Amino acid sequence: MHYTIFYGLTIGAILYFISIGLSLTFGTMRVINFAHTITYTIGVYILITFVIFFKWSFPVGAVLAILAIIPIAYVIERFIIRRLYGDSLDYTFIATFAVALIGVDLIKWIWGPAPYPLSDPIGKYLILFDVSLPIYRVLMVISAILLFILLHLFFKMTIVGKIIIAALDDKDGVRCLGINVDKYFSLVFVMGSALAVLGGIFYAPISSIHPYMGLAILLLCFAVVIVGGMGNLKGTFLSAFALGMLMALTARYWPQGAETMVFIAMAVVLIFRPIDI
Amino acid sequence: MLEIRNLDVSYGYAKVLHDVSLNIKTGEMVFLIGRNGAGKTTLLKTIIGLLQPQKGSIVYAGKEISNLSPERLYLQGFRYVGQEKKVFGNLTVQENIEIAAFASGEPMDVSLKKITSIYPKIKDFLKTKAGQLSGGQRQILLVGRALVGEPKLLLIDEPTQGLAAIVIEEIIHILDSLKKQVSALIVEQNLSLVKQLSDRIFLLKEGKMVREIISKSEESGIQDLEGYL
Repeated sequence: MHYTIFYGLTIGAILYFISIGLSLTFGTMRVINFAHTITYTIGVYILITFVIFFKWSFPVGAVLAILAIIPIAYVIERFIIRRLYGDSLDYTFIATFAVALIGVDLIKWIWGPAPYPLSDPIGKYLILFDVSLPIYRVLMVISAILLFILLHLFFKMTIVGKIIIAALDDKDGVRCLGINVDKYFSLVFVMGSALAVLGGIFYAPISSIHPYMGLAILLLCFAVVIVGGMGNLKGTFLSAFALGMLMALTARYWPQGAETMVFIAMAVVLIFRPIDI
Repeated sequence: MLEIRNLDVSYGYAKVLHDVSLNIKTGEMVFLIGRNGAGKTTLLKTIIGLLQPQKGSIVYAGKEISNLSPERLYLQGFRYVGQEKKVFGNLTVQENIEIAAFASGEPMDVSLKKITSIYPKIKDFLKTKAGQLSGGQRQILLVGRALVGEPKLLLIDEPTQGLAAIVIEEIIHILDSLKKQVSALIVEQNLSLVKQLSDRIFLLKEGKMVREIISKSEESGIQDLEGYL
């Protein structure tokens, strides 16, 4: 049971890293961003390029992957997402899904369709409550909690963070105070993409790296965002860990139903709390 | 100061404003009245740059501004307070003011002093989340936020809508204290407030400007306005 709980925390951490960008993007820009999957996946492929092909160390590869995704995310935001501000959600869905599909083909073209394995970069274990836990996964959970605290401080203490929170409430209100909201939205988008890559970097060694890996996890992340409340930072954190735990507990007794339970939870939230979403 | 000439504004195929013209002189408090759906809010949103006109011009200080964004108009001294009383609900009152101060480049203590001078009670809820404020407190915060920096033209949409009588008195007091300091175009249905504060009144009916009343010289004209609301 201890391992199941720990496994749930691990899944929660991954979901949190990837979902926070989606939540911020929807909360500020009202864009359902399927392109988020592609920045996540490209980030992971850049990581394996450095780690597997160039034989560089994992931390160096991770930092370079995050840095490399910043200009890519900026270009997607500047030339595709920004044109969708104010459009209906259907258009944002179609356009960003197209970006995701183009990205998947681009990955297949550059790196090939075959999956790549990546081993745990630490490879050591910690004994806790008589359970042997991979240090890498412990680090993942701690990083997610640290990220939550750092983001909380960023949005609470800095003027940039406060402007983003204000734009979540009333974008036109911020514009009418003379603030160029688009500049801050770019920052939110790039930040969200970089965090998704961080999630991908953590997830890559415990999963399979393939061109569709982003699409596979995206639906779970949408469930996290819907349950947590779109644009709700604390809600996204709690929802990620709650759904991660739900997946782990379900998988213990009914492995085939682990993901299904997440969508059942999402449906229940949609039925009983549609106005807040 | 502000001259609007022959303005047409549409939402898609639905034309809301037809050939609307009005002007505001420096230091004037001008009211815009009319029934719901007459196009009053549309006119304010067009002036502040949230909507684009299909025809006509908006000239401010001799320059055409109808194609400028709200961000650019803010720098020219335009301040807009919408009718929805939307504050930044997840931030405190102080943080709401802080964002306005940051945007205008005004030191926070100057902004705070400016707002407390028109509404001293705001000190009591500076640390309160703006989302927890009453409708009246929100309205006062929004008007206060609009005074940060160097406002030259206030565009205020229905400042007393849905507020209790005691709060309306406070709003009247605040607006009265701003007279002559800053120009204003205010959408309002409360005729007693309009009579008390207006220099001029424009009446909008079904998207057309049908009447202009110079308040002090046309007392009887003001009495007739109730028939239009």
